[in-house]
Amino acid sequence: MINPVLARELRERMRTGRAFVVIGVFLALLILTVFLVYQGRQSTGVIEFDLARQTQLGRDLYEWVLFVMLALVLFFVPGLTAGAIAGERERQTLLPLQVTLLRPRSILIGKVLAGMSFLVLLLVAAVPVTVVSYLLGGFRLIDGLKGLLAVVIVAILHTTMVASLSAFTRRVQTATLLAYGFTALLVLLGPLMYVTMGIADSSHGNDQANPPAVLVAVNPFSVVADITTGATSTGESNPLRAIRSGVAEAKANNNDSWFAWFPEDDIGARFRLVNDGPSGLPAWVVGLAGMTLLAGGMAALATRRLRTPAEVER
Amino acid sequence: MSEHVDGEVMVELLEPEELPGEVADGPELAVRATGLTKRYGTLVAVDRMDLAVPRGSIFGLIGPNGAGKSTTFAMMATLLRPTAGSIEVMGANPAHKPRTVRRRMGYMPDSLGVYDNLRVDEYLEFFAASYGIPRAEWPELVGGLLELVDLAVKRTAMVNSLSRGMKQRLSLARALVHDPELLVLDEPASGLDPRARVELRELLRSLNGMGKTIVIASHILAELEEMCSDVAIMEAGRLLASGPPRQILQQLGGARSIRVRFADGTAETFTVADDADQASLLRRLVVDDERDVVEFIEESGGLEQLFMSLTEGIVQ
Repeated sequence: MINPVLARELRERMRTGRAFVVIGVFLALLILTVFLVYQGRQSTGVIEFDLARQTQLGRDLYEWVLFVMLALVLFFVPGLTAGAIAGERERQTLLPLQVTLLRPRSILIGKVLAGMSFLVLLLVAAVPVTVVSYLLGGFRLIDGLKGLLAVVIVAILHTTMVASLSAFTRRVQTATLLAYGFTALLVLLGPLMYVTMGIADSSHGNDQANPPAVLVAVNPFSVVADITTGATSTGESNPLRAIRSGVAEAKANNNDSWFAWFPEDDIGARFRLVNDGPSGLPAWVVGLAGMTLLAGGMAALATRRLRTPAEVER
Repeated sequence: MSEHVDGEVMVELLEPEELPGEVADGPELAVRATGLTKRYGTLVAVDRMDLAVPRGSIFGLIGPNGAGKSTTFAMMATLLRPTAGSIEVMGANPAHKPRTVRRRMGYMPDSLGVYDNLRVDEYLEFFAASYGIPRAEWPELVGGLLELVDLAVKRTAMVNSLSRGMKQRLSLARALVHDPELLVLDEPASGLDPRARVELRELLRSLNGMGKTIVIASHILAELEEMCSDVAIMEAGRLLASGPPRQILQQLGGARSIRVRFADGTAETFTVADDADQASLLRRLVVDDERDVVEFIEESGGLEQLFMSLTEGIVQ
């Protein structure tokens, strides 16, 4: 039997016009991105019957679409999912649900799956827009699919985190604010810490040590940027390429960890997961692993929060 | 209606220092609490309560706001764990076997939580699924429940289009979706207009007639008096009295006022101690004095009088 919470959520979501508005806005912004990038390159004469430049445009378009798609997903998920459990509390429907035979984890799974299903629908709807850049060439199909898959996985993990956060508030408004704050931290905290630690390092007078690259790796944009490294590294600059360069630089510098400040050098070694050496893991693997751990931990806490006080005390 | 426990009328008038005391035992009880206590820090929400709800009864839990009624219900409904004492619902401990209790009990909290973007039938189907009822059974189940709560004509209406009274009935149908033996209803008539209250009362009587035990909390004492076979009165977390209302009144030594109106238009009020006294008054007036009695009404406040006699207006 399909998870009852999932079935009900999907029914409610698709019944309100909000879902179609979100899909419409999402697609419109992606199409606008394609249009603006295309127009921008055309006005600089980049694509005039030059196959190499056309493929470069295809690559650029793809990376822009991927970047905007991820940014939109990160923007829409808190708005769509923050009320998952807080909404149940606010409209006082959680109590009747808790006295049914549904287990707390089923309630959370239903909520997360509903959010994921909608996101997958959103991303599938965006495939035709991505195909435009593929038709121009510049990247392999497998690279294109890898990028899309990375966005889907990051979106799923982000949905899990936001739905879990929702279990800790009683009001949808609070939950939404919390979710946006959390998303901002997820995106900005690591890079900011990396930069801050770098500055602290240089002021310390030991320029040979660098902050651990894991700080920039556990980041939605880094994951997507790093996983799409394959095809080209040349061409017009775009946000995804800039992020990729930043992650690559952090990886290259990671061998001299910031933690080498400490007397015992082996402390630093623990933080050198992300490096260019043969034993180093790719940044996207570390990033996804970090986000999965975070999402899993948050989901476990949310499940506990969804138990009735009687079950918690048991 | 009161002879539920081994043929004996069970009436308890408890002084706080007597608690916890003996309560009726055995499988005839739908709910049995012994020394039930719930504390939140220094606040004692429920204080050493002994409660026995006979199976097949309509049991009213009465008390002012903050008396501990909802906390007691939450402990029955597997939502809260007692700080001390024990409680059994349909023979199972809600804290240890919540799913067993949930299978046999339907709970309607005092808040009216419904999903506005669902149709009435979808709403009930959702809860049927949440109780693991096979999909093939849903149409018949939902149809039957909607007939029972008189919402059959609203089957495909959106929940948000229903009146408050209809939503209350829908909530009741939700609590019945898994055919529980025990219904725990927290203030089900709150906010209802007089017609909706009457309809709800009739519905609860029908459910009781179907063999379901109903435990109900309400502020509308007159309504409970008409409906309940047994009551328990709470104040400041303590159970003050429990049993059939008339029996409690008698134990309290409360005399009844009888208002008699005669054919000549005059009226007099008499005081009687009990049923026998009341019967002899009527016989004396009609047979001995040969007066033309056109109205003979017990004027006692009933449950209200009982409630006022027992409670002191203590607020926690």
